[in-house]
Amino acid sequence: MATVVWFVASACAIASALAVIVQRNPFIAAIALLGNLASLATLYLLLQSDFVAAAQIIVYAGAVMVMFLFVIAYVGPHAEVPDERRHTWQLIAACVAAGAILVEIALAVGRSTLDSAASVEDSFGSPQAVGEVFLTRYVGAFELVSLLLLVAAIAGVVLGSGPRPSRVVDERQRRVQEARDLAASRAGDDR
Amino acid sequence: MVDGFFITAIKGFALVNLLMGFFAIMTWVERRLIGRFQVRLGPNRVGPYGLLQPIADLGKLLRKQSVIPAGARPRLYLLAPFVSLTCAIGAFGLMPFGGVASVPGTDIDFHLYMADSNVALLFVAALGSLGFYGLLIGGWASGSKYSLLGGMRAIAQLVSYEVAFTLAVIGVVIHAGSLSFVDIVQQQSDWVWFIVPQFLGFVVFMIAAVAESNRPPFDLAEADGEVVAGYHTEYGGMRFAMFANAEFINAITLSALAAVLFLGGPSGPLLPGPLWMLLKAGFFLFIFIWLRATTPRVRFDQLMSLGWKVLLPAATLNLVVTAAFVVYG
Repeated sequence: MATVVWFVASACAIASALAVIVQRNPFIAAIALLGNLASLATLYLLLQSDFVAAAQIIVYAGAVMVMFLFVIAYVGPHAEVPDERRHTWQLIAACVAAGAILVEIALAVGRSTLDSAASVEDSFGSPQAVGEVFLTRYVGAFELVSLLLLVAAIAGVVLGSGPRPSRVVDERQRRVQEARDLAASRAGDDR
Repeated sequence: MVDGFFITAIKGFALVNLLMGFFAIMTWVERRLIGRFQVRLGPNRVGPYGLLQPIADLGKLLRKQSVIPAGARPRLYLLAPFVSLTCAIGAFGLMPFGGVASVPGTDIDFHLYMADSNVALLFVAALGSLGFYGLLIGGWASGSKYSLLGGMRAIAQLVSYEVAFTLAVIGVVIHAGSLSFVDIVQQQSDWVWFIVPQFLGFVVFMIAAVAESNRPPFDLAEADGEVVAGYHTEYGGMRFAMFANAEFINAITLSALAAVLFLGGPSGPLLPGPLWMLLKAGFFLFIFIWLRATTPRVRFDQLMSLGWKVLLPAATLNLVVTAAFVVYG
């Protein structure tokens, strides 16, 4: 049963990952990425990491991808035309990077002994265990990340809120003044 | 799977069919109740008391011509209702209905819940937020501006209320010390219903739940006075019915969730577990219908400021006080 699920989920993960980079339409590519995240969550479930699987869906699929799709649907599919020019150096760099990852995976798989199944305790990956590690061993990194997210959120608000309110008021006063000047000059013409 | 593959499959089949039957009856109950609220009768012509109205509706919807509008993306257009409905039913599947029961006349025991995960609550939240993709995909793939606007509204609403909703639920989780529904129900029958220590959390939860289920007065994603019918403008027949079905099942799931988290779920004296769940969830469903019948739709800016400026601070305050109470109390 678990083997069947593993094969289906892995196939879905690879297929959806390919779709993400092959699809030209950004909306469909984003939905393919969503499928990829769901497939990975299924694989996490098979690894007894229930909490990671649920967090993956809630955080990535439920929050991050929602914003992606929101922006793509809002801007429209044709606003961003892909760059048609093909740079040779891009191709070479991509091939080198992909080759490096392939070698790394091959080394990692080749060196490890995969003949015996790994075993973990029942509490492994439970919310309690994850929470305890976050608040003891990795508490520094955890707090730093939360600070980083807070900074990013404030930056998003600042960048997204447009001109500062004082400038908006100035602009409004300038327009009112312009309109008054115009009205005054017209009144002068009539006389 | 607590009972093995075979029994779980049978339970799943039974649960889905019971849920669909309950949904059909609830559409009739809802229309009759709204009729009463508005000093009229409601549907009373088809069958005794109009009880066969859902079947007549189903027949009508089945016989509609299936149209894929020009300008739509056919595959995504057809996929969208399935996404919504699958997630809605999946989320309901995790609700507990009691402990262990046995098949009458035999010695086969089975549990009155599909699965007891130690992160069940998170899975319900995850499936709830995935269900909204159906609305966004449907709205986008219809190729109509009203649909797109409706889908965008749905997503903006989800993002705003998901936070307050989750924070309100965490108060219960802190008291129970677990994310498993079975544990949460057990804690409440040992101590007290969580609505007592978590009343603020309960109020935030209920308001956010109405918004999450996309029902009036927070049905801005399909506000008929503003965006025709929102995300399902271009859907007809059974495809529309699937969206409507998913929306109502979400309301049923959230009612059951409220019963489990705040009113002790299937535990109670005399009556069996499933009946208690039915009574408690039915009570919350009545509140949903009551709200629909008596409140006007909010404006979009009111929706946003309520979510971010009122519910989120209230839920955060509740969370901090609860944590302090549990640690020092």
